[in-house]
Amino acid sequence: MNTVEEVRAHVADRLSELDGVVALRRTLEGTAPYLFREGEDLSRLVLEPRYPLAPVVSLLQKRYPEARFGIVARGCDTRALVEMAKREQIDLDRLYLLGVACTAEEAGECYCADPAPDHEPWSQVVVIGTPVAGAAPNPMVAEYEKMSLEERREFWQQQFLKCIKCYGCRNICPECFCEACALEDPLWVERGVLAPPFPMYHLIRAMHMTARCVACRQCELTCPAHIPLTVLYDLIRRDVGELLGYIPGANIAVAPPLSLTLEEAPVQARSE
Amino acid sequence: MSECFEPRIVAFLCNWCSYAGADNAGIARMQSPANVLPIRVMCSGRVSPEMILRAFRSGADGVLVLGCHIGECHYISGNHRTIKRVPLVRNLLSYVGINPERLRLDWVSSAEAPKFAKVTQEFVDAVRALGPIAEEVGV
Amino acid sequence: MEYKNVLTTCVYCGAGCGLYLQVLDGEIVGVLPPKEHPITQGKLCIKGWNATSFVYHPDRLKTPLIRRGDGFEEATWEEALTLIVERLSTVKAESGPNSLAFLTSAKCTNEENYLLQKFARAVIGTNNVDHCARL
Repeated sequence: MNTVEEVRAHVADRLSELDGVVALRRTLEGTAPYLFREGEDLSRLVLEPRYPLAPVVSLLQKRYPEARFGIVARGCDTRALVEMAKREQIDLDRLYLLGVACTAEEAGECYCADPAPDHEPWSQVVVIGTPVAGAAPNPMVAEYEKMSLEERREFWQQQFLKCIKCYGCRNICPECFCEACALEDPLWVERGVLAPPFPMYHLIRAMHMTARCVACRQCELTCPAHIPLTVLYDLIRRDVGELLGYIPGANIAVAPPLSLTLEEAPVQARSE
Repeated sequence: MSECFEPRIVAFLCNWCSYAGADNAGIARMQSPANVLPIRVMCSGRVSPEMILRAFRSGADGVLVLGCHIGECHYISGNHRTIKRVPLVRNLLSYVGINPERLRLDWVSSAEAPKFAKVTQEFVDAVRALGPIAEEVGV
Repeated sequence: MEYKNVLTTCVYCGAGCGLYLQVLDGEIVGVLPPKEHPITQGKLCIKGWNATSFVYHPDRLKTPLIRRGDGFEEATWEEALTLIVERLSTVKAESGPNSLAFLTSAKCTNEENYLLQKFARAVIGTNNVDHCARL
């Protein structure tokens, strides 16, 4: 049995005790997230192309607070679930997680450091597929760091000039659930101006992603202008790791540090 | 680079410590630079990244965030958030090519009027050397 | 309890991006860009992302409205169509076909637009046909 067939078999087993399983379904029209229910044809369950599934679970749990759902989740989905659970958007106690390990190729595509939920705190979770080691980080980040301030400025000004302010990066992000979004506030992001004036939109988004971004790469995949957003977010994630010792998605027990006091979440290193 | 360039600094001052410190500096007739536009906030923890970025976008050549010393915040732990947030904003600025030295965080209590004068003067001198913000951010 | 994504086409421009409507128990709750669609390729513009905002909008028309006096009154399709036939015939008879003009919309299908211009040209007898994209 290959990975997909194993997943289908496992989901078939579990569906009788769950209200549904969130996974990808392929039809003649294409592939999209779907809620499989007991008795439905599972031959259409597939594992790619990747869509963010955590927001679907959040939506379903809010509509049906008593129901118990399952999800077929890759490493990035589990990290997203953890961060959303910390912000009370998801109830992990009522979620059955079926882990899927990404292949080495898939991990490489996303430069993913954590391509399978096969470690703490997920060690009780069934993981289908052979977990592989984390891929190397995006080489563009290292190249970028070598640039001078002027070169960086030119690079980003060019990149941000392409932005059509579609809000795709925010809409597809599993961590963006705020009903009143700062990016829609005319006080911070001027209305009626394209490209959004440097550097407001993108830097505000990057700051709001501190201690939240789980490196699922969906934002960059959804950007119609091919802006390399994850270069910026990778750097932020590294800073948050060094400065505050926090890795988004790694541990459900560690609260996001930015709104905590220094006693609860100390600063590890000074960057001044 | 214009020789007559005088930087414009926006300073977010917390109501209980740094704003009072600034006030005392004025009462004591201490010399502090006229380039500084003070904005009173109730706590330095109130200063969001949006506010800092908006200050730059509006033409501030430098942004100063002054709060109470750690452990002396009127709201106990408001400045704990500032001390975590501002270094992240500085790094982010450097990643998009804006000189991070344009943003500074310091702690000035209401009794430290001389420190207020010193910090603002040093900051203005440092930013003067960096040049106008318009060269880094279109305003 | 049903969640699915329904593929449709965005109504806003000629590109014709595919769009997944996220449907929860028969109600549209969001939009997703299809990754395999040859035009969309997993990306949407701001109009596409907000393409469903008119569906449940409180201002959306649900019945024909006829202007009477200072305001609009709800009417049946029968009443509305009868009035239209009456008025268009009268205007055409009194002032000629070119005193009438017809405006179509990008939110209609190509077939509906074809019908309207055929109506204008063959039935009414005027070339005064235009489309919201040109305005």
